Amino acid sequence: MSRNKSLVIAITDLRMAMKARYVRYSLIGVAALGPVVAIVTIIGLLMTVPATSSEFGQMLSLVMPMGSAMLSLMAVIPAGLISANALVGEREQNTLEPLLATPLTDRELILGKALSSIIPCVLLLISGTAVSSVVIYLFTVFNGLPPVLFPDLPGLFLILVVGPTVVVAIVAMMILISGRVSRVYEAYQTGTAAVAVLLVPIVAPSIGLTDPRSVWLFDLITFAVALVLAAVAWYFAVRFFNRDAMVSRV
Amino acid sequence: MDRVKTEGLTKIFGDIIAVNKIDLAVPEGSVFGLLGPNGAGKSTTVRLLCTLLRPTEGTAIVSGHDIRDEPLAVRQTTGLLPEEGSHTLYPRMSAYRNLEYFAKLYGIPDKDIPGRIEELLRFMGLWERRDDPAGELSTGNRQRLALCRAILHSPTVALLDEPTASLDPIAAKRVRELILSLAREYGITFFINSHNLAEVQRICDRVAIIDHGKILLAGETEEIRSQLGTGRVFRVRVVGDPSAALSVAESAEFVEEARLDDNTLVVKVRDPEANNSRLMMMLIERGVRILEFAQEEMSLEDVYLAVVDGGED
Repeated sequence: MSRNKSLVIAITDLRMAMKARYVRYSLIGVAALGPVVAIVTIIGLLMTVPATSSEFGQMLSLVMPMGSAMLSLMAVIPAGLISANALVGEREQNTLEPLLATPLTDRELILGKALSSIIPCVLLLISGTAVSSVVIYLFTVFNGLPPVLFPDLPGLFLILVVGPTVVVAIVAMMILISGRVSRVYEAYQTGTAAVAVLLVPIVAPSIGLTDPRSVWLFDLITFAVALVLAAVAWYFAVRFFNRDAMVSRV
Repeated sequence: MDRVKTEGLTKIFGDIIAVNKIDLAVPEGSVFGLLGPNGAGKSTTVRLLCTLLRPTEGTAIVSGHDIRDEPLAVRQTTGLLPEEGSHTLYPRMSAYRNLEYFAKLYGIPDKDIPGRIEELLRFMGLWERRDDPAGELSTGNRQRLALCRAILHSPTVALLDEPTASLDPIAAKRVRELILSLAREYGITFFINSHNLAEVQRICDRVAIIDHGKILLAGETEEIRSQLGTGRVFRVRVVGDPSAALSVAESAEFVEEARLDDNTLVVKVRDPEANNSRLMMMLIERGVRILEFAQEEMSLEDVYLAVVDGGED
């Protein structure tokens, strides 16, 4: 029953979020932007630098981690938008009181609200990766270039492990601040600060740290930071989830 | 059996005592009205009773469950129509979906949900509008839909915060009728917050007056009216000049107040059962020809103003 109620909240929140034009367009825009950026960056390189040149390998080792990081970054941005809408938006729309008056436990409510952001973002990460991967592979094959498998292993780690961890961190931060802010945009601005973690694997290759060990190192650092952030924010979000504070601000 | 019973229920926000040690009892099946001016503590009381807020001190038993120890059971057995209920629906969701969502959250079995929603929407006259987004319904229809949501899970207690505020008179009348029908048909105990005195007088069989977080008066509506007013004030119409009657009344030691109002003598009598006949005799003995000697009915509004103003004084 517990899982069902959380799922009911998640699905309804997602439906509601998709009915808000700004969320829908942002979600579609960001969802498309991630793969587009990754594809354009990598294909751009393949078209400008001859595959036989010595620079090709270097450039590939630069754009592969950046492409993966961009893809992750774009896919996690909607998490802030959806969770801000799902938590603070409820209060802004005056729908929070009836929801809190239902026999939901804090855990069910938090899980439901979290899932409404986590599910679409994970789907975006997977679908964006699949689309980018297929397009880049087909492009190389049809143009007689050496096939490029995107993302590489560290990239896959970044997309499938670090990305969802950052999503959890964003959602947890949003839950944590939801009783302390009044407006969706305030929550969005504060909660999405966790996205900044993903700037590390974007910036690191651009300052020359492109060898596989460095890429792995920065991916692992990013993961560790995201994990700590997610764990601490989640702990405090659950520990200090306060219906009183949420309702008193209505 | 009392469906709602509060014991020293208190809520303090910082330096503000919103609800101050209130003791209330609402018997099963009754329609109870909590009256009070804005900021008196009515909404906070309702939020405490449905466990949206946690009491600072004291507690309440709602439908047999303690609001401190069994909040889930309380929420399962109570329905809430929050303040400005018509604005608490999901505006982009259809009327039907709004109810379906809450039906699932209240744990109504999936197979029973369509039937229950249809029953309530038909009862409220909203069945034909079931597919319309809630935000496109009129304020009255939204309020009725919010009322549907409050009783969707067949609660034993429904807490309604200003159920007719912001409604036009016709819509307000319809909502009042619905509350009474629901009390009759479904046996729900209603706890209604209002500052609409006429409304409370019409539909509530019990009432309490709250101000500055304190209960100033509580009891059966008629009992309160009679306790404070009925029987104490009399209007006496006489033949000819009423000033003679006024001087007679003023001379009587049991008359608290006497005045003329549009050629009618208005007198406030202490212990009317013993003294109104004495007053009549005195008037007759002094040659006053009485046309009419009538008790003035005191409305709940008079009682309310007397109690609240008295409290402020």
